[in-house]
This record gives sequence, structure tokens and C-alpha cells, in this order.
Amino acid sequence: MVDPAAREVWLHRALFVAIALLLLFWRLLPLPMAMMSDCAETAGWCRFTVWLNRTPGPDFLLCIIFAWTMRRPDYLPALLIAVVVLLEDMLLDRPPGLWTALVLLASEFVRGRVALTRELNFGVEWLLVSGLMVAMLLVYRTVFAMAIVPQTGFGFAMIQVVWSVLCYPVVVFLSRYVLDLHKPAMGEVDAYGRRM
Amino acid sequence: MARNRVDPAEFHRPLRRVLVGLLILLMLGLFLLWRIDSPRVERFRSALVDRFVPSFQWAAAPVTWSAGVLDNFQSYSRLYEQNQQLREELRQMKAWKEAALQLEQKNARLLDLNHVRLDPMLTHVTGVVLADSGSPFRQSVLLNVGARDGIKDGWATMDGIGLVGRISGVGQQISRVILLTDSNSRVPVAVQPSGQKALLSGDNSDLPPLDFLEDPDEVRPGDRVVTSGDGGMFPAGLLVGSVVLGTDKRLRVALSADYQRLEFLRVLRSHELTPITDPGALVTTPPVQGPPKPPTTPEPGAEAGASNG
Repeated sequence: MVDPAAREVWLHRALFVAIALLLLFWRLLPLPMAMMSDCAETAGWCRFTVWLNRTPGPDFLLCIIFAWTMRRPDYLPALLIAVVVLLEDMLLDRPPGLWTALVLLASEFVRGRVALTRELNFGVEWLLVSGLMVAMLLVYRTVFAMAIVPQTGFGFAMIQVVWSVLCYPVVVFLSRYVLDLHKPAMGEVDAYGRRM
Repeated sequence: MARNRVDPAEFHRPLRRVLVGLLILLMLGLFLLWRIDSPRVERFRSALVDRFVPSFQWAAAPVTWSAGVLDNFQSYSRLYEQNQQLREELRQMKAWKEAALQLEQKNARLLDLNHVRLDPMLTHVTGVVLADSGSPFRQSVLLNVGARDGIKDGWATMDGIGLVGRISGVGQQISRVILLTDSNSRVPVAVQPSGQKALLSGDNSDLPPLDFLEDPDEVRPGDRVVTSGDGGMFPAGLLVGSVVLGTDKRLRVALSADYQRLEFLRVLRSHELTPITDPGALVTTPPVQGPPKPPTTPEPGAEAGASNG
């Protein structure tokens, strides 16, 4: 009745939405905020954890979007990416639409080069994704500057990109070995029987 | 190997490209719309948050509870250190208590002499913090009171002690509080003994700096900072914090409100606020010399808009 390939696709789409909601949920939790003033002057470890707590962490959603579009572009249709990222824009109080547009552009860039990236090894893929993330940040901040929207310091925003780049291999590893998400092998066919 | 038959993808691809292009344009258009007419888009955002956030409240409760337990457990490990610190503070506090008692008596006498009645307009609504809507880039929290409870945009929010922030975005059951530490927050303040006016502008750090101080030499670390009531944004005289000298040699404010644990916040009703209904009037109000009320805003229209939204 239900084609297993199609079911696989829809399962992964649902999983993507679930992960995105979980990440949002985590970001929205009213957890106690750590403060520098709690730490003694000499407690280096304590100060470090507070610093970690207060600086932006990795953007896991972006990592997942890149890792999945790189491997199985059919799992993440553009509309789904747009809806999820726009929801994130709205709930996290970012200016709506701009980041969504950038994520869409970047994911389309990756999608258009699936045939190329299939041949690449992971190092090159990582480099490509890092370049994309930095480029997205630069464009994002340029548009902010052009629209005269106040924004946070560059270094502060860069920390997030560095974290995202560092976490990308982890996301890829988990996708590969937990979710069994791999680049299509030779002769694999998709839900409509087309070659991938 | 050579593909002779016509692949349906050949037709899909250009169509898809056009659709995705349209989607991207739509998103950019949304950003542009937000930039031009942000009250409208923000109202939509509030409605969305209103729908979304209460739905996971049941899930958030156990997680925040266990995080609190973990936090308490960690604080046990620092117990000795904290104990020493508290003893030290207690010694200092005893001296302060003496001073405070004297001041209180003096204050009561003076109030009695003046027949002062504290402002009856300043009643408050208390709300519980639902969600910490935040990346480190945006410092705001969501409260579980909203338009249903009569909350309006721009009202001041305090915890028991000091100013916490300002309402920005009201949904039916949810309202968003922009904290003083957010990089978009600007609050006119006065530094107490010298009476210097300044602007408290958040920059995402724990200690927001004081901008536009008239004479920084007259301000010393330890001075009290209260809202000045300039611009009709906040009632005057709400406690904000005390001046400290930051590590970058700038004068900053250590906030009195307990930002680590924002749990119950009170929203002060202030009735004389002019509601923000359109983006233009904020920017292009002609400079009025005499009365501060801009004559261009149609009052009945603004009233109706506020009660609808």
C-alpha cells in the first residue's frame, strides 16, 4: 500500500519538524541565567561556564539543514525549511523573513550542487559549509546595516558561527549513524522510481 | 546509460526554481514589511507566540523544575564559600540597616509633614515568566498575562525590587518583556544624589552602560539610578540599580532586579502613555515647542485602535 521509500521520506520530514520544535522548546525554557557576579574572582572554571552560558551556542537547526540537504535533498523541501525557519524567526524575536530567505538561498545552493558534492570527501564538504555559514552571517549583517537595524557586536555573532562549524561534524555523524542518512549510492531510486 | 526518454525532472526543475525564487522574495518582502511597518508585523508575531507558547507549558514545567534542582545542587557544593561571603555581607548590612532605619523614620516624618499620597494610578498586574524567549542576542521573557488582563505596550515591568524592562508585544494571553539588558532597550534614567540625566542603553551584557551623561565627573560608583520619567515612557522614580565602573572604564549600572531568577514580574499600569499605532508618527512628528502632546495624532482613532488591538 504505502511505498516504503515514500514513507521513509515523510518519516524524515516529520523527524525534522520534531527536532526543530525540540530545539525551539529548549531555547524558550526559562532556565536560571548564570551571571559573572556569582563567581569568585579566582574561580576560572566557574567563570568559563558562565561565559559559555552567556555566549551564543551553535545553530543546530542550520547544521541539520545543511547536513540533510547535502545528503538527501528530497527529505527537506524548500517550503518545509521556510516554514520551520520562519517559525524560529518569529519565536526568537528576530526580524522575520531575512534569516529564512538566507537559509533558503544557502540550502538551494547546496541542493543545486548535490551531484557535485556527492563526489567530495567530508573535509571539502565541511569547508564548503563553513564558507556558507560565514557568508550568510556577512550578508545578514550587511542587510541589517543597510536597513539601519541595531545589531550585536560582530565578534559575538561570530562565536555562534564558529560553534556551528565545530558542531557540523557531530550533526553529520549522528545523522549518518543514528538516522542512517547517507548520500544516495549508485543506482538507488527515489519514491517515483527515478534515479538519484 | 544515455537517457533518451524525457525525464519529468526536466519540466519540474525550472518551475521549482521559479517557485523557490518566489518564496525567497516573499521572505525578503516580509523583512521589508517588518522594517517599514513593524507594529503590524509585531502584532502578528504576538498572535503567533500567543498560539504557540502556551501549548508547551505543560512540558516546560518538569524541565525547569529539574533544572532548578540541579542548580540548587550545584549551589550546595559552593556552600562553604557562600557562607563566608554571606557573613561578610551581613556585617556590612548591619551598618546599612542602622542607616536605613534612621532614614525611614526621617522619611515618614517628612511624608507626614507634606501629606504625600503615593500615586494611586500605579497599580500593577502580576505575571509569571513563561518562557525565556531568547538567544543571547535578544534579552526578553514572555509573561503569562496579556491583552486579556489589560496589559498594554510600553508599560514598565518590575520584580519586587527594581525595574526589569518594558512590555513590547502583547498577545491575548502572553506579553513580551524586553529586558533592560537587551541591545534595543533605551531607558531615560537619573543618577540620584547628583540628579544627572542619562540614557540606560542595553548592550547584551549584565551591566548596561549609561549613555549621554551630562557630566560623568559628578557620578560615582555606588550612586543610585532611578527612572527619570523623561519622554513619558515610564513613571519617574522607579529603582533601576546602582552605578558601577565597568572593566572598560565606562560607567555602567548594576541592576537591582534579580535577573538570574525572573519568576514573578509586576507590570505597572501607566495610563497616560500614547499608544504606538503607526510607525510614521514616531519618526516624523514635527518638533513641538510648547505642550509636549503632538497635535497630529487623532485621539479618538488612537483610542479605538488600542482597544481593538
